[in-house]
Amino acid sequence: MKRRDFLKYLGSGIVGTGVGLAFGKVTKPPGAKLIPYLIPPEDVIPGVATWYASLCTQCSAGCGILVKVMEGRAKKIEGNPLHPVNKGRLCARGNAALQALYNPDRIKGPMKRTGERGSGKYKEISWNEAVSILGRNLSELDKNGATEGLYVLTSTLRGHLNTLIREFMSSYGSPNYMQYELFQHRNLIYANRVSMGLDAIPHYDIANTRYLLSFGADFSSTWLSPVNLSHGYGEMRQGGARRRGVLVQVEPRLSLTGANADEWVPVRPGTEGVLALSIAHEIVAGGYYKGADASSWKELLSGFSPEHAARVTEVDAGRIHHIAKEFVKTRPSLAIGGDNLSAYRDGLSCLVAVNILNHLAGNIGRKGGVVPNPAGLLKGRTGTELRKDRITALAKSALEGDVKTLIVYNTNPVFTTPAGVKLERALRNVPFIASLSSFMDETTAMADLILPSHTSLEDWGDDFAEPSTGVRVATLMQPAVSPVFDTRGAGDIFISLAKALGGKVGERLNYKGFPEYLKESWRKIYANNKEVAAGALTFDGFWNRLLEHGGWWQTEEPRHKPRSVSVRRVKAHIPTSPSEFEGDEGRYPLYLVTYPHAGYLDGRGANLPWLQEMPDPMTAVVWGSWVEINPKTARKLGIKQGDLVTVESPYGGIDLPAFLYEGIRPDTVAVPIGQGHRLYGRYAEKRGVNPIEILPVAEDKRSGELALNSTRVRLERKGADGKLVKMGVRTEELGRGIVQTITPEEFERIAGKEEA
Amino acid sequence: MANKITYREINQDIIGFMTNTGIWYYIVLGFMALGALALFFAPWAYQIYTGQGVTGLNVPIFWGVYLVNFVFWVGVAHAGTLISAMLFITKTPWRRSIARGAETMTFFALILVTLFIFIHMGRPWNFYWSFPYPNQRLLWTNFQSPLMFDVFAIGTYFTSSAIFLYFGMIPDLAALKHHTTGWRKWLYTTLSLGWRGTDRQWHVQGKATMFFSSFIMPLVVSVHSIVSWDFALSVVPGYSKTIFAPYFVTGALLSGFAGVVLMLTLLRWFFPFVRKYVTEYHYDSIGKMILLLSLVWSYCTIMEILTGLYANTSEEMESLKYKILTDPYMQLFALMMFSNTILPLVLMIKKVRITPVIMFFICIFVMVGMWLERYLIIPNALSRKFLPWMWYDYFPSWVELSITAGAFMFFIAMFMASIKIFPVFSLFELKEDAGIPMEKPHGEG
Amino acid sequence: MSKIVKKVKERLRDFRRPGYYKEFEYNWTMVIDLDKCNGCEACVVACHAENNLPIVGKDECSKSRAFNWIRIERYVEGEFPNVKVKFIPIMCQHCNSAPCELGCPVYATYHNQDGLNVQVYNRCVGTFTCATYCPYDVRRFNWFTYKWPEPLDQQLNPDVTVREMGVMEKCTFCIQRIRVAKDRAKDENRKVRDGEVVPACVQSCPTGALVFGDRNDPKSRVAKLAKSPRRFRLLEGLNTDPSVIYLKRVMKKSGSKKHGEHG
Ligand SMILES: Nc1nc2c(c(=O)[nH]1)N[C@H]1C(S)=C(S)[C@@H](COP(=O)(O)OP(=O)(O)OC[C@H]3O[C@@H](n4cnc5c(=O)[nH]c(N)nc54)[C@H](O)[C@@H]3O)O[C@H]1N2
Ligand SMILES: Nc1nc2c(c(=O)[nH]1)N[C@H]1C(S)=C(S)[C@@H](COP(=O)(O)OP(=O)(O)OC[C@H]3O[C@@H](n4cnc5c(=O)[nH]c(N)nc54)[C@H](O)[C@@H]3O)O[C@H]1N2
Ligand code: SF4
Ligand code: SF4
Ligand code: SF4
Ligand code: SF4
Ligand code: SF4
Ligand SMILES: [Mo]
Repeated sequence: MKRRDFLKYLGSGIVGTGVGLAFGKVTKPPGAKLIPYLIPPEDVIPGVATWYASLCTQCSAGCGILVKVMEGRAKKIEGNPLHPVNKGRLCARGNAALQALYNPDRIKGPMKRTGERGSGKYKEISWNEAVSILGRNLSELDKNGATEGLYVLTSTLRGHLNTLIREFMSSYGSPNYMQYELFQHRNLIYANRVSMGLDAIPHYDIANTRYLLSFGADFSSTWLSPVNLSHGYGEMRQGGARRRGVLVQVEPRLSLTGANADEWVPVRPGTEGVLALSIAHEIVAGGYYKGADASSWKELLSGFSPEHAARVTEVDAGRIHHIAKEFVKTRPSLAIGGDNLSAYRDGLSCLVAVNILNHLAGNIGRKGGVVPNPAGLLKGRTGTELRKDRITALAKSALEGDVKTLIVYNTNPVFTTPAGVKLERALRNVPFIASLSSFMDETTAMADLILPSHTSLEDWGDDFAEPSTGVRVATLMQPAVSPVFDTRGAGDIFISLAKALGGKVGERLNYKGFPEYLKESWRKIYANNKEVAAGALTFDGFWNRLLEHGGWWQTEEPRHKPRSVSVRRVKAHIPTSPSEFEGDEGRYPLYLVTYPHAGYLDGRGANLPWLQEMPDPMTAVVWGSWVEINPKTARKLGIKQGDLVTVESPYGGIDLPAFLYEGIRPDTVAVPIGQGHRLYGRYAEKRGVNPIEILPVAEDKRSGELALNSTRVRLERKGADGKLVKMGVRTEELGRGIVQTITPEEFERIAGKEEA
Repeated sequence: MANKITYREINQDIIGFMTNTGIWYYIVLGFMALGALALFFAPWAYQIYTGQGVTGLNVPIFWGVYLVNFVFWVGVAHAGTLISAMLFITKTPWRRSIARGAETMTFFALILVTLFIFIHMGRPWNFYWSFPYPNQRLLWTNFQSPLMFDVFAIGTYFTSSAIFLYFGMIPDLAALKHHTTGWRKWLYTTLSLGWRGTDRQWHVQGKATMFFSSFIMPLVVSVHSIVSWDFALSVVPGYSKTIFAPYFVTGALLSGFAGVVLMLTLLRWFFPFVRKYVTEYHYDSIGKMILLLSLVWSYCTIMEILTGLYANTSEEMESLKYKILTDPYMQLFALMMFSNTILPLVLMIKKVRITPVIMFFICIFVMVGMWLERYLIIPNALSRKFLPWMWYDYFPSWVELSITAGAFMFFIAMFMASIKIFPVFSLFELKEDAGIPMEKPHGEG
Repeated sequence: MSKIVKKVKERLRDFRRPGYYKEFEYNWTMVIDLDKCNGCEACVVACHAENNLPIVGKDECSKSRAFNWIRIERYVEGEFPNVKVKFIPIMCQHCNSAPCELGCPVYATYHNQDGLNVQVYNRCVGTFTCATYCPYDVRRFNWFTYKWPEPLDQQLNPDVTVREMGVMEKCTFCIQRIRVAKDRAKDENRKVRDGEVVPACVQSCPTGALVFGDRNDPKSRVAKLAKSPRRFRLLEGLNTDPSVIYLKRVMKKSGSKKHGEHG
């Protein structure tokens, strides 16, 4: 309590008493709050900030953070400058994690459902009661020999919470632990596996490349590890005396990354794979590829001449040839395939085609190319496991009655799966659902029991970042503040559940709490790993350093072990024709492209007001969603900026305002993902629309990745006022020299004169 | 026409007007006062309580209708000074019967000017921070700021107009105390400061009027020049214009004279005795003045546009385009040009000048036109500043519109109450003219 | 005689120096490399977090009253498929010849000894003059007293005032961080080191497009970058002498042929 507050309370107490007496009623003095600070916490010095090193969990990049804490409250999050993933930097979402912690719409304690499922009627209960309800339910299953009926669904977890849940499930006797979230990069992992034998996401060394060929990878806002890759981008452009790298972006809709590219190739949606193979064709045909298997590549790629590809992709044959030449001749070069690519029906094949390009140009295992990560300290999930963890499979099991009890943590599948999956109906068929969510989202509303977990700034944990490190990285998450509400760590919940269950599970997970489990697990890593232990005398010293630095990581340069892609391996996986889109071309003339919003990602950021009010990087729209339409197309349909339009697919229609955008093909429209929450707190609810609702249930058959770019749509103008609110009225410079530029040629001339 | 006016008649007319008030006068006055309360003061209180967010102001249009009204009322306040001072010094004969009314207008217009500054401010309760008073922290004000110039210019103008008005009224107040009883007698006795009409007193009074007239006359030019520098000293396209000082002064006088015509005509209509003192001759003279001012104003307006076109920078062109070629400002601009340039041309015809009803309607147009002129400069220019990304439009909110309308009612209420207490025609100056047929110019005209 | 003229001229020049300072103790400067900036908006959110900027909601946003001390302007040229998009982060330029300072009647905005354009919230009476005069449209006004629903208010930075209704504000170059660094330096009897002051936006910026430092120190990064042949300042023709220096983006002229576009 501050001095001023004390005086205020004192004053209001006196006034309150007076007023109370006057009205014949004495109010309760509010002085009770004074007591807790009589014995102040050790680490609190008023006015002086304490910084805690921890982990950002706003996306799966795994950035290291420093949390500034004053008087026990988190004030600011900054990047951990020592951390190899984000190198001290932070994205907008990482900054906004504070508003998840202090969100006014958090669930404030455990709750039990009282009304209908989905009605949102709950009653507050104690933690003891909550844990025993769930414990009794699981004992019941055990007694009936139906332990396999327990399903646990979480987001992608890579750290020791993952191993804890695995141990819980195996000792309890259920194989049904699944990880699901919308942008899980299943296709990317699986494509790397089938083409390079790499069951992981490697490091894409953008910083050191000089020709970056990106197929729909929007690394500036959301793809894989945005902070790391953006940092690399800055280095690639103006990283000192080295020559400035070139970025070529291939995508039907100009993304933020595309907007920064030197060249935009507005390819026809779904034909990127063919385009990539056509570039490969030119590399082999031009004799640039010197491998012994050149002839078999030639044979494999024979059907992909630029002339043929030009017809399919609508990219000029000469341009394909030119890109191919630049790609192999500029050293080092790098091709990457992003979410837009992996979101096609055959996204996996498209990504295989990108890997082929890197192989043919010799970019794999090279500085400035694809750098496979060394083996992790902890075995995370693998592509094979991911393939099994399909949300459609879960829905099917639930409908068939196989799912007896479901525990959901940190994922919101009801929001992120198309209506056709009928997940909501399937969940109604599950006898008992428990959610560990801290927020009332669409999935949590289906739960019978809510055991709200901490947010990342209140919890313990760790992470082993996978994409874009090139070195071994472990990040530790520690609580920066004490819990704001009556919540518990997810790990603690599982451990107390194990205690309640007793038996084998109780024995296996006999820990005081998750912090102990975490520390003991690290003790093992320390014991088994010379490199990790190096320089530390004792485990406790090591542990303290871990807490101080925010984790452990290799500090040397990544080692570059070349890998190759063989014809034999990829033969069955290359894209032979454009990806399929549902909807009759006559009735539904436009391709629909969906993409994660820079702030909301898969929808999880929509409840954070800073992100709602952050102008979208491309359109500058705030607090809503929109459909991007090429002005030519709009003119034909009589649609003006801001009009309300209906976007209709064979699976349904959504109404949203039009945003006229020169950066999109006339035969394509685009809608961002993230808005349209029915539930999720005051900032997110009933705002914008969710385009996933009108998507078909389309998955890549091999990887199980949901195909977000898989349908055609039609547009219809519905009215004049779509309530589009955007920053920035005019986007013409009118010759005022606001953003001044110089040409690459001029830059070459002055490049040596740049200082610093 | 032998209607010679006697002292007695003057006394009867003016004092009778002040002391005999019909019920309808109270009704109108009450209506105006209530209107001022409901439309002016209540919304202002709401604005102070809630914040400036109740206006239509935004980024980057931070200056809106309140400043339009501020400049407009400064303009209205200008005729009083000109008529009283300049015409006194040049011994222009037609000033006598209208000067007091014009000065009274000036006084109340300046009250509104001051109020509009406070209404415009985000934290009006701290208004006194803009005065250079000695204080503990040795904080001084910024003398480089044109707003600081305003504080001095308007402060000076307000003080000197008030003194001028009061000083000129002393002989009348002394006369009034002999013809009244009760609170009026007490009031006039107190205020007349023992005026007995001795030679010496008359001599001092004459000297003082001459002195004040000479002192105030430069203010006619300076006050509105300074007001124009609020805009002209910025770098904003559409504001940063060298022609602004003379342009604003001319416009102010134009609207000031139009205001005087409106005031006199209304008095003539409702109080027939006024027709004796305000005659065709006055209309004719003011009409010529308005014609002249309109021509100078039109010249400035056209020059402002031409220099913009000549500069031909993107900033100038876009700001002109917004003002002249964009809905709805295009229409407003056309209305302004019609009101201030085209319509006043009919004043070349004498018949028009001496027909009060025509003059009345022309002057209404001039007032509207002059209000629009300020509107088309102040918020409009801010809508098209340097960075197109930040371009935005402005439309006044109901609070702003209500306060704008309420200001007129407040003005009328104050004026109506005042002329029942203080003579709206200068008794002693009229008496100087007594015995002379008022319809005709005397001497050389 | 000429001596007197010279002296008068000198006095006048002194008078016209920003804030009447002969020289600045530090000359804080922001260099923004437009070739690095990718328009990601991380800086915008970081500034919100550091400086207690309110969230105003959709309605107020639609009235152009959003609170951003730093914003990313986007300019678009050309038609499909030859579209060029350009980004530019704009915050207060800390002009050394600042039009806003000229306008403020009460010295609520003035130049400090470090060459910063500072804003004294307590002193501001809300005349809007500074914002009207600012050619860069970076000033924001507290139209209302904004509220933070509990417990969102626990995040508020105690090093920065929460402003009340009627007050003007804008980017301060994170002066609270400058003061901490200067204080530390003073205790240790030295000047602030290069890189010791990191404003929130600079700290966040993933691409490293933003660099901050003291241009008086010839060895600082900003001093070196400020000499780049790519340097320019925004609306330089207005002679506002900004402390923000931009480095030009490298970009093909719009309409120029693309690589490999034949015929
Ligand atoms: N050397 C030296 N000694 C002095 C003085 C001096 O100038 N120099 N000044 C004297 C004066 S004037 C005074 S008033 C005293 C002050 O002396 P103290 O009252 O001891 O003041 P502090 O040490 O500032 O704070 C006391 C504790 O309050 C805790 N605290 C902070 N906020 C809260 C809260 O909200 N609730 C609760 N319960 N605790 C909180 C802090 O963590 C801190 O441990 O010191 C006196 N002693
Ligand atoms: N940052 C911070 N601010 C605080 C506090 C804090 O802990 N931290 N504490 C708060 C509290 S509890 C208090 S009481 C106040 C104290 O606030 P102040 O009253 O400002 O306290 P000091 O700075 O200790 O003393 C004021 C001045 O008195 C001078 N002085 C000493 N002896 C004499 C004397 O005999 N005669 C005269 N004329 N002058 C003398 C000292 O040299 C000093 O310059 O500060 C409050 N403000
Ligand atoms: S990239 Fe992801 S992990 Fe890194 S700061 Fe942003 S949200 Fe956090
Ligand atoms: S950018 Fe605007 S607010 Fe900042 S110093 Fe310059 S004129 Fe003043
Ligand atoms: S708004 Fe405040 S800072 Fe700006 S000019 Fe007025 S008083 Fe000065
Ligand atoms: S320097 Fe500080 S105040 Fe200015 S824009 Fe950056 S974060 Fe905001
Ligand atoms: S954070 Fe950096 S890269 Fe992102 S918009 Fe701001 S200045 Fe540009
Ligand atoms: Mo004290």
